[in-house]
Formats: sequence, structure tokens, C-alpha cells
Amino acid sequence: MLSVTDLHVRFGEAHILQGVSIAVGRTPLAIVGRNGMGKTTLCQAIMGLVRSSEGAVTLAGTPLTGKLPYQVARSGVALVPQGRRTFPSLSVHEHLLLVARTRDAAWTIDRVYDTFPRLAERRRNGGTELSGGEQQMLAIARALLMNPTLVIMDEPSEGLAPVIVDQLIGVLRTLEGDGMGLLLVEQNLRVATEVASEVSIMVTGRIATTLPAHVLAADTEIQRRYLGVAAGGHH
Amino acid sequence: MDLAATIVLNGLTLAALYFIVASGFSLIFGLMRVVNMAHGTLYLVAGYVGYRVFEPLYDADVWWAWYAGLAAGIVAAAVAGALLQWVLLSWMQGQELRQALVTIGVSIIVADQVLAIFGGTPRQFFAPDAIFGSTRVPFVGGYPTFRLVQIGIAIAVGIALWLVLNRTRLGMMIRAGVDDREMLGACGVNVPRVGIAVFALGAALCGLGGVIGSTAQPLALGQDGRFLLISLVVVIVGGMGSITGTAIGAILVGLAEQIGQAMFPTYSVILTFVIMVAVLALRPQGILGRA
Repeated sequence: MLSVTDLHVRFGEAHILQGVSIAVGRTPLAIVGRNGMGKTTLCQAIMGLVRSSEGAVTLAGTPLTGKLPYQVARSGVALVPQGRRTFPSLSVHEHLLLVARTRDAAWTIDRVYDTFPRLAERRRNGGTELSGGEQQMLAIARALLMNPTLVIMDEPSEGLAPVIVDQLIGVLRTLEGDGMGLLLVEQNLRVATEVASEVSIMVTGRIATTLPAHVLAADTEIQRRYLGVAAGGHH
Repeated sequence: MDLAATIVLNGLTLAALYFIVASGFSLIFGLMRVVNMAHGTLYLVAGYVGYRVFEPLYDADVWWAWYAGLAAGIVAAAVAGALLQWVLLSWMQGQELRQALVTIGVSIIVADQVLAIFGGTPRQFFAPDAIFGSTRVPFVGGYPTFRLVQIGIAIAVGIALWLVLNRTRLGMMIRAGVDDREMLGACGVNVPRVGIAVFALGAALCGLGGVIGSTAQPLALGQDGRFLLISLVVVIVGGMGSITGTAIGAILVGLAEQIGQAMFPTYSVILTFVIMVAVLALRPQGILGRA
């Protein structure tokens, strides 16, 4: 579905992505790693929000490299960005109207309100009047309504209460059934391993290793080496 | 009493014109973050192109001569604004200083071309009979009807802008783009095209102001600089990107000019800038601007 080959991103002297290659198929792929390893830059480079200096990104064979963000979005990629980035001047309902196009797509405004009843209750509220969890649901709903081939989610669990994180995991697990690809960037190892079947570990702008989610979840030695997490701290 | 009322009404009619012109400037800045130094030039373009259409029709005694001039002026300004964004400014998105310098360059070139083509003689539109003459206003007496119409048009522009921004898909895109341009693009919205539409809309408002203003007072070179300066002061006082703020800024500046001219004519020009300095000192983002 999505294929990233030897992608490099430089900001002036800083070499942020140093040849990243990943492939996302029908099943979700998660990317984990410590802060500052280039995970967010990878999401932005795929979306066209930052320019890559070398390498290629293709979606189902269509090249995305060098396209503007709106062209990437129209090719079938949606982004749930880090920090949610909902629009403060738009109401909940307006966010959905902005991206909703066709009535016969898999995700419609009605389905969003069925899936996230809390958003239906707050449909007239502005983007800033929502709690962190509600904003996250809105950012996800905004991406799903574009009915993309692939959704990129950049730390969706960041700053959410544990009970909301459980809801989030539930929603993310349904995407595969809709035929939607998922690239999930996470700091939260539990979310990554419960949603994705495979997990790639990113270290200083490179993919260090890719392994099945259940292997990573069980191997505290790998967790400590690449992620610096204390054994058992995430369950 | 009569004099005071007349001064206030004069201030409000002037404010109406300033609002129409400055609202276009504010709209463009709000979404595009472009300080369009050629905004006054769009006023000139609308005035002169409109006049070129108006003059032969007026000489032929056609009743709709003024309306044709108005339409031509608005369209000319909108096309000029769209071209400015599409051909020049879109290549330097986000480079604010470069955009400001390019638009200054455009304004100098266009002013010289206007001088070469139309000469230096001032022109003035004649309002159609229906809105010419005078109307009796309480406390003021006879007052030029056209100036009252000017206030009506400004109110209509304000309401129309509010409706466009809050009730249409384009308005939704503009508000979202003001919040976060990048994310608007990531939502699949063709942001460059929205930018051209906003530039055309802002320029059209300036063009409307150009023909209205050139009916109330003569059109000549120098009006471009004057209306650019006024647009800057109005949006700095009112707050960049806020339509209500622009209205408040226009009313303050319009009233200050008229009261100043009546009370202390020699120093009246200073009053406008005193207001601007005071606002900048106490509330740098403008009266209704977001910090």
C-alpha cells in the first residue's frame, strides 16, 4: 500500500531522516522510538509538509514525492498530526463538513457521530472548547471522513487519560476491517503493540529493526535497549 | 448641535469608505499573511478602469453608466488581485518581507503606467440620479444622498462578509486557513486556489471602495498611497484579520479625521496617528486582534 524507500530529510545542517524505508500493507504498522528520533518528521515528509532531499514515497504505485499536502491528501493519505491541530475557529460540525465529500463512502458524518457520540453532543462547540480527548477524537474523525487509503497517526494517545486510550485502541482496531491502512507513530508501547501487527523501531533517523508486535511486547531487553523503558512499566 | 451632528455624519460616511477598502486588506492579510502594499494600487486600477467604461456611457446619457463603471472597476480590481497572487506572490509564500517589497514595486510600476495612460488630470464619477441630490437628515438638514448610500453599502458589505465567512464553504476554508494553513492543505483543500479566491475577493472589495470613493471625491494619483496608509492604520487599530475590528478601526479613524479637521485643521493629520500610537502602546495586537 504505502512504500517509503531510502527517504532523507535535511533541515539545513541537521540530517533528520537518514534513509528511512518502510512498507505498510493491509495490516497496521507502528513506529516507536524515543523523542527526537525523526518520527514526526517522517509523518510530515510523507504528507508533503516537509520536503525530502532524497528517496521516494509511493501509495499503491502512485508517487507522492514532491507533491503538495492537498495533492497527497487527495491521493488517499490522511494525517492525524501530533498535537491534534484542530481548527479553533471551526465548530465540530464544520470540521466534518470541511472534509466530507460523498454520501456513499465508508465513513460519513452520520457514522462519525455514531462512533463518537461525544462529538455529536458537542457538534456546535468550537475546536478550542473541547477536552484533549475530544479534540483527539475530532482529529481522528476529520482524517477518517476523508476516506483515505492510508491514515497516518502521530502520537494519538499523547496526553490522554487511560480510559480514553482504551477507547482509542478500540477505534484503531476497526480500521483494518474498513480496508484502511494505518501507520501509527507512538510513544506508548502498549498502544503500538495492541493495535499493530508489526512494529518498527526508529533510532536517529533510521529504522533500527522491525519485529512482530507480540515479540516486542514480550521482550524487555529490546525495549530497554531501543526505547529506554523500564521492564514491565507499561502493563 | 447641527455642526456637531454634521461632523459625526461626515466622519461616519468617511468611515464607511475606509471600512470597504480596509476590509479587503484585512481579509487578505488574515489568510495569506501578506502585507499587500499594492492595496491602494487596486483602488486606482478600479477607479481608472471603471472611469474608462463610465465616461462614454455617461456622455451618451445612459442611465446605467455609473453601475457599469462600478461593475467594471470591481472586476478589474478582482482580476488584478488574483493575478498578483497567482503570478507573483504565490512563489514566495511565507516570505513576508519579500512579498511586501514586490507589492511596493508593483504599486510604483502601476502608478507610472496610470500616469502614462490616463494623464494627471483628476477624474470623478457622477452618481446616478436615483442616489444623487440631497436628503433631509434630522439635526443635520440637507445631506448628500450618495454619502448616506455609502454608509448603507458599507453595512451591506459587513453583513455580506460575515455571511460568506460564517455560512459558506469558502468561509469555512478561510477561517481554517487563518488557524492553520498547513493542516488545511493536509485536509485535501487546494490552499493555493483558496488563496487566489481570497485575493480576488479582497481586491474586489477594494475596487468597490475605489469606484464609490471616486464618486464622493476626485480620483487622482496619490489616492493609492492615501488608501494604503489608511488601510494599514485601520487594521492596525482594529486588529489584523478581524472584520468587526476593521469596522471599529474605520469608525475611529473616520471620526478622528473629521473632528480633527473641524477643531484644529492644521494638526488634524496627527490625530489619526495619535490613535494608532495609543493602540500600539496599550494593545499591540489591535482592539479586536488576537494576540
